[in-house]
Amino acid sequence: MMAAACGDDDAGPGGPLTEIGDGEGAVSIIAWAGYIERGDTDPSFDWVTQFEADTGCMVTVKTAATSDEMVALMQGSNDFDLVTASGDASLRLIAGGTVQEVNTDLIESWGDVDPRLQEAPWHFVDGAHYGVPYQWGSNVLMYNTEVFGDTPPTSWNVVFEEVTLPDGASNAGRVEAYDGPIYIADAALYLMHHQPELGITDPYALNRAQFKAALDLMRQQRELVFRYWHDAFVQMDDFTTEGVVASSSWPFQVNILAAGGAPISSVIPVEGATGWADTTMMHANAPHPNCAYMWMEWSLNPQVQGDLAAWFGSVPANLSACTGNALLGDTGCATNGEGNFDQIHFWKTPQADCFGLGGECVPYHEWVTQSVAVIGGR
Amino acid sequence: MSTRRPRIRRHFGLRLSTWAVLAFLHFPILIVALYAFTTEDAAFSFPPPGLTLEWFGVAWSNGAVRDALYLSLRVATTATAIALVLGTMAAAAVWRRPFFGREAVSLFIVLPIALPGIITGISLRSAIALGNIPFSFWTIVIGHATFCVAIAYNNVVARMRRTSPSLLEASADLGANGWQTFRHVLLPQIRPALIAGGMLAFALSFDEIIVTTFTAGNQQTLPIWMFSSLVRPRQRPMTNVVALLIVALTFIPILLATRMTRNTEGS
Amino acid sequence: MVIESTNVGRIGRISGALHRRPGLRLLLLLGLPALWLVGVYGGSLLALLWQSFFSLDEFSGNVNRDLTLETWGDLFTDSNISIAIRTLSMATAVTIGAAVIAFPIAYYTVRYAGPRLRAAFFVLILIPLWSSYLVRVYAWKLILAREGILFWFVDTLGLNFLLDAALSAPGIGGPSLSASALGQFFVFTYIWLPYMILPVYTALERVPRSYLEASADLGARPAQTFRTVIWPLAIPGIAAGSIFTFSLTLGDYIIPTIIGDSSPFIGLAIYSYQGVAGNLPLAAAFSFVPIVIMVIYLILARRAGAFDAL
Repeated sequence: MMAAACGDDDAGPGGPLTEIGDGEGAVSIIAWAGYIERGDTDPSFDWVTQFEADTGCMVTVKTAATSDEMVALMQGSNDFDLVTASGDASLRLIAGGTVQEVNTDLIESWGDVDPRLQEAPWHFVDGAHYGVPYQWGSNVLMYNTEVFGDTPPTSWNVVFEEVTLPDGASNAGRVEAYDGPIYIADAALYLMHHQPELGITDPYALNRAQFKAALDLMRQQRELVFRYWHDAFVQMDDFTTEGVVASSSWPFQVNILAAGGAPISSVIPVEGATGWADTTMMHANAPHPNCAYMWMEWSLNPQVQGDLAAWFGSVPANLSACTGNALLGDTGCATNGEGNFDQIHFWKTPQADCFGLGGECVPYHEWVTQSVAVIGGR
Repeated sequence: MSTRRPRIRRHFGLRLSTWAVLAFLHFPILIVALYAFTTEDAAFSFPPPGLTLEWFGVAWSNGAVRDALYLSLRVATTATAIALVLGTMAAAAVWRRPFFGREAVSLFIVLPIALPGIITGISLRSAIALGNIPFSFWTIVIGHATFCVAIAYNNVVARMRRTSPSLLEASADLGANGWQTFRHVLLPQIRPALIAGGMLAFALSFDEIIVTTFTAGNQQTLPIWMFSSLVRPRQRPMTNVVALLIVALTFIPILLATRMTRNTEGS
Repeated sequence: MVIESTNVGRIGRISGALHRRPGLRLLLLLGLPALWLVGVYGGSLLALLWQSFFSLDEFSGNVNRDLTLETWGDLFTDSNISIAIRTLSMATAVTIGAAVIAFPIAYYTVRYAGPRLRAAFFVLILIPLWSSYLVRVYAWKLILAREGILFWFVDTLGLNFLLDAALSAPGIGGPSLSASALGQFFVFTYIWLPYMILPVYTALERVPRSYLEASADLGARPAQTFRTVIWPLAIPGIAAGSIFTFSLTLGDYIIPTIIGDSSPFIGLAIYSYQGVAGNLPLAAAFSFVPIVIMVIYLILARRAGAFDAL
């Protein structure tokens, strides 16, 4: 598992590349499902074929279902060049020496990256860049419009507290929560708003007392949830065939369900929301470094960025993709929540040193064991 | 023999439960078949709103499915072959003469199928990581062959136990050496067991997901492809199509193998 | 008999030598499988045990390779114990369920089905093994959904009250069959059923017809014959099948994520400690829970004659 992660803390052998040489003919990427499409699913969504033709780098993709799986794959093997890491994985990859520093001078389109993301704390550490922003999105509150009628929910309380919904029945057994340790941050965000006396300032930097309060809220929620959703499809089925009416979700599910005519909509509640911002990062021992750099440059191409945003319901890291993309349309970025940036608390890996803010915080591996315990009803 | 009526009555209950169990086993496969034709592409509802043949075309033209199928076939074939050779050797060793540690050997051979797949997977993975071995086609095969050996061994050893030693003695008396005896006497005796064990091992390898998850690097076997496609938009009915095609493709070999093994058993 | 005259001399000499030295023959026959199973597999298990004495670095999530008992201390928490108990209960229930369902079909096939019907049954029992496990589990999710097929049938038959009663039962019920322990039990039982049917079938097939005739000749009634002749001879088959159903339920982590209320099982916990938390030491320590359980189970099953019926 950790054989590959024994490197030192800076980049791979001899620091980052200083110039890009000839392509090695292949590049291997770990990605979220739907992140790197080659037209297999829908011929109009293909941003691999052109890249392969231009560079001669044949792309292989391994899809991973969770951030944690991505970390495990990266740490456990030297087969992969790149990973589309979310913020709850990226700092772990950097701290473990699993990924290398990226020389942004070699990436021509670097200047097109949304300035809000250029030096984001989940990939910019000690003055060094460890990746290229790819896409971001917010976790939204997805709800059934037939049940909520004219009064859409405005607070996460519909998934955390027992309430009577506008259709007159309780929400117990009709809501869901995300099945991942990082969801504890959603509980902390809710408390940040509703229990200011706890003094939570960052939902990912929780001291013991704050962490315990968040867990207590999740235990209360345990009584209400139908299921903790793990894969997007199971969740969609739960909304269509199981009578689930509200849950934290991604714009992705909302778009697919709404496009299919289901009575589904979404909202960012008053408390704000957690979100994910994904960064393409490069393995410390990447076997195909030149192709990897070529892909990172390609990943910022406005056409790629726009198509992907349309496909996945996310927001481009290169905002010039928001205009003139046929698949995304000119309102696509707004639909996918481009304006929510300031309400979002992006995923970060919880760390014992509270991201250098001082104090002692609960580290991530405890988030994992505790969330397993809560979901198990303990 | 008793009179007729009670027998028919007794039959009736048994027959009913037998057909009920078969229905229970096959009902979900019917559902899979039904949803291979659905017009919905993401979330499913019952009954399906419409039927279409589109997904068969989509699956047929999908390169990832073909690659995954080919890899799965290669892995299953290689693992089964290794398992049959090793399993037969082990069975031949423990079959006739008791020796010190024979019980331990038979216990150890059964271990890989008696322990949950996740244990096999995670332990092989940690060994692979400790040894700094890159993940490849062969790491998958090693994982699969490990539990397939047990299947092959069990089938062969059971068959050997039912083979009369006097056959081998007769062969030796007629001047055949050990190798000839094996080839001309023992092998025909255990052939049905090899076919049955091979089939079962192949089936288990072909549909294995948990061990593969741990021992595969960048390779996608068919079940792994299924797993990633099930969480992917607009591709879902394709998984049902692929599952259905596999049933259709394997029906004939299963039938043939069953006939071959049954015919030689005698009733 | 055809004899390959070219090789016969050499092979004859070798096999003659081997015949005179059974120890050497045993070594040659057993060497390779033993190397594989003891070397590769046993070695891997030892590597796993070894890793359970490492610990996790708080910050980077990397594994610290200094030997310590810390991880084993972290294993015995309330939550992990309840996960183990939940999994054991499910494995037990599924094993009993599968045995109850498997016996009649195996018995009927062996005793009353003609050779053609027998072959047909055999194929029908094998086919589910070949059709993707994942796809079938997802199909069950559709079947068991609140607005799915089963509810639709029950509704049509006007038996809602039965289903509601089952779902309101504490511990096994839930908001829907697909999100309840009951539904999980159905799916587990369904998925592992062929693994139970095959060994039971094999065991019953070995009951010589002459035993049954002798029993009848000695004046035993069919029920008595069943109790005194058939049942004792079927036990090894059930024990063998139960090894599979028990162990497969113990380790599966896919069904609990798709069916049920997300309560973790041992397999799921190991998977998330390893994959999710990157906490291999804890996953390794937890792996020894099912290993110990299964070794004890194997010893018991062997007493019941399971190894002769596998």
